[in-house]
Amino acid sequence: MKKKSILRMCFLCFFVATCAPVSRRALIILLLLAISFGCNSGGGRRVSLPARVTRVVSLAPNLTEIVFAVGAGDRLVGRTSYCDYPPEAKAVAEIGDTLHPSLERIIALKPQVVLISTSSQLEVFTQELQNQNIAVFVTDPHDLEGVFRSIQQVGEMLGQKDQADQLVTKLRERTTAVEQAVKGKQPVSVFYQVSAEPLYTAGHDAFVTDLMRRAGAASVTANVPGAWPKFSNESALAARPDAIILPTGGSMGSVNSDVTEALRKSPAALQGRVYKINDDYLTRPGPRAIDGLEAMARALHPEAFK
Amino acid sequence: MNRVTLRKTLISCALLGAVLLLAIVSTSLLGSERLPARASLCALASLGTSTCGLTQDQFDILFQIRLPRILLAAAVGGSLATAGAGYQALLRNPLAEPYLLGISNGAAVGTMISLVFFGAIEWTRPLLAFSGAFAATFAVYRLARGRAGATPERLILAGVIVTTFLSSVIVFVTTLMDATRIRSFTFWLLGDLSGASKALLPVAITITILGALALTLHARSLNLLMLGERDAFDLGVEVGRVRIVVFLVASLLVGSSVAASGSVGYVGLVVPHLARLSLGSDNRISIPAAALGGALFVIVADTVARTIIAPRELPVGAITALIGAPLFIYLLKRV
Repeated sequence: MKKKSILRMCFLCFFVATCAPVSRRALIILLLLAISFGCNSGGGRRVSLPARVTRVVSLAPNLTEIVFAVGAGDRLVGRTSYCDYPPEAKAVAEIGDTLHPSLERIIALKPQVVLISTSSQLEVFTQELQNQNIAVFVTDPHDLEGVFRSIQQVGEMLGQKDQADQLVTKLRERTTAVEQAVKGKQPVSVFYQVSAEPLYTAGHDAFVTDLMRRAGAASVTANVPGAWPKFSNESALAARPDAIILPTGGSMGSVNSDVTEALRKSPAALQGRVYKINDDYLTRPGPRAIDGLEAMARALHPEAFK
Repeated sequence: MNRVTLRKTLISCALLGAVLLLAIVSTSLLGSERLPARASLCALASLGTSTCGLTQDQFDILFQIRLPRILLAAAVGGSLATAGAGYQALLRNPLAEPYLLGISNGAAVGTMISLVFFGAIEWTRPLLAFSGAFAATFAVYRLARGRAGATPERLILAGVIVTTFLSSVIVFVTTLMDATRIRSFTFWLLGDLSGASKALLPVAITITILGALALTLHARSLNLLMLGERDAFDLGVEVGRVRIVVFLVASLLVGSSVAASGSVGYVGLVVPHLARLSLGSDNRISIPAAALGGALFVIVADTVARTIIAPRELPVGAITALIGAPLFIYLLKRV
């Protein structure tokens, strides 16, 4: 019964979020309502963590990368089929993919904490983990600061605070270096193509939108509501971007390596300013996001990195 | 065809055709980008030979993006409504509809197989979609025929079984696909016209027109079939041949529309009913009227889908279902 009502609430939110042209504020209020509703009805009990966490399961590739980057890779006991970096991660047991994790396998691995990034889709699942007395850590960063924060939080939770702080300091330095290099340059108007058919792009809430801004790009879809909206072909054409970024070549393989038909005659395509950048850097809000930042900045402002 | 029916058919088709043309022109002025209305109308009137002062981008938006999409919407709507009218007449069941009978899902499975195994070869898409639709049609038809003949309830039940079975096949195939493509597939499954494929557009339009003509030519037999198969046979209808023709043509119509746009639901239900309500149940009138009305319905629904939250978009299937599902419940209560 409880699960049902949570599900119903989710559906309602999804419906409202996708269908109705409600103002952002109304949406946020609705979401907050839904969250508080979920917590109340579900009992939302807190599971306390032991002093030293020795068994961790990660349900997202960016979280797996963070666990390894803060030096706690040896304590990762479960990962998804998408978690392929660093190479050592592949030796860890698989528990399904991000959207279809196997609860049984996770419980059998006896983790003390499960790391989740797509909280909204796994609400019922999260509840079940907590009922099994397994702590759940949820992070869903929408900008680079959020990525740094989740690195520090994961580090702190796993008793690797120093290493996490060092990592974040280093990543911040690299970020600043990029920002300094493109400072004063005219931002390049960019279209970020998530997929060509149907046409998806990165909207206001996507962390890559923040990344593009820092790389000296003016995303033509930076103010479109949502994280990954389906976008109108004609608006893409009318935006006349000077550059197009195609996240591809990593986990995507050769998928998304062609510009969508509506943009074939855009200034970007005519000037050959179509940049393929490893999708793993741009779609995983983890330490390698800075590699993505550098790659984008170098592609868009080559003269700044001579 | 006697003269009165012929005249009524021609008048209603001419009227609907005029409204359809009006809809094509007026919806091509609507979209997430604003185009100057007068210049656009002038360019449309010149059939794209003159830009009438539109910039190159505006011209491309109008002729490369909007118009193909509107024409595809017309083809998809016309196909689905014609197929629905055909199924309803042949199966003597007002609830028969490609989407509800699982026939769209059959075509979807075919399309997915083509995308997964023959991704690069575009012509396998409509072909496998057609095969899937035909197989699903046949399965539903066989399942629906009990000892007491095919009752409406039995047919819908058979449709539900086939639909759910094929849905699980679809889920299974999506789990085999890599994660990056699943998202676009879920959108496509709901019915989406944004990928108006230039290669498939002429095929879809041709199939729609030929299919609607073929079914209209069999309308007299379908009228007699509505009396019951035995009576129709006694009145000289080649029941077996008509059944095969209607099944083949309807599967072809559903297959081509699903290959082009995914499963757009409820069009085949709503439109033929409206056609019969307003023009009577003579298939010689209601089938061509349904074809034109279906085109009109999906054009309007897709215009809503692409403008209501612009520059974002909704799948057109969500809009048609939003209108169709309540109407379905209403009709179910009347049966």
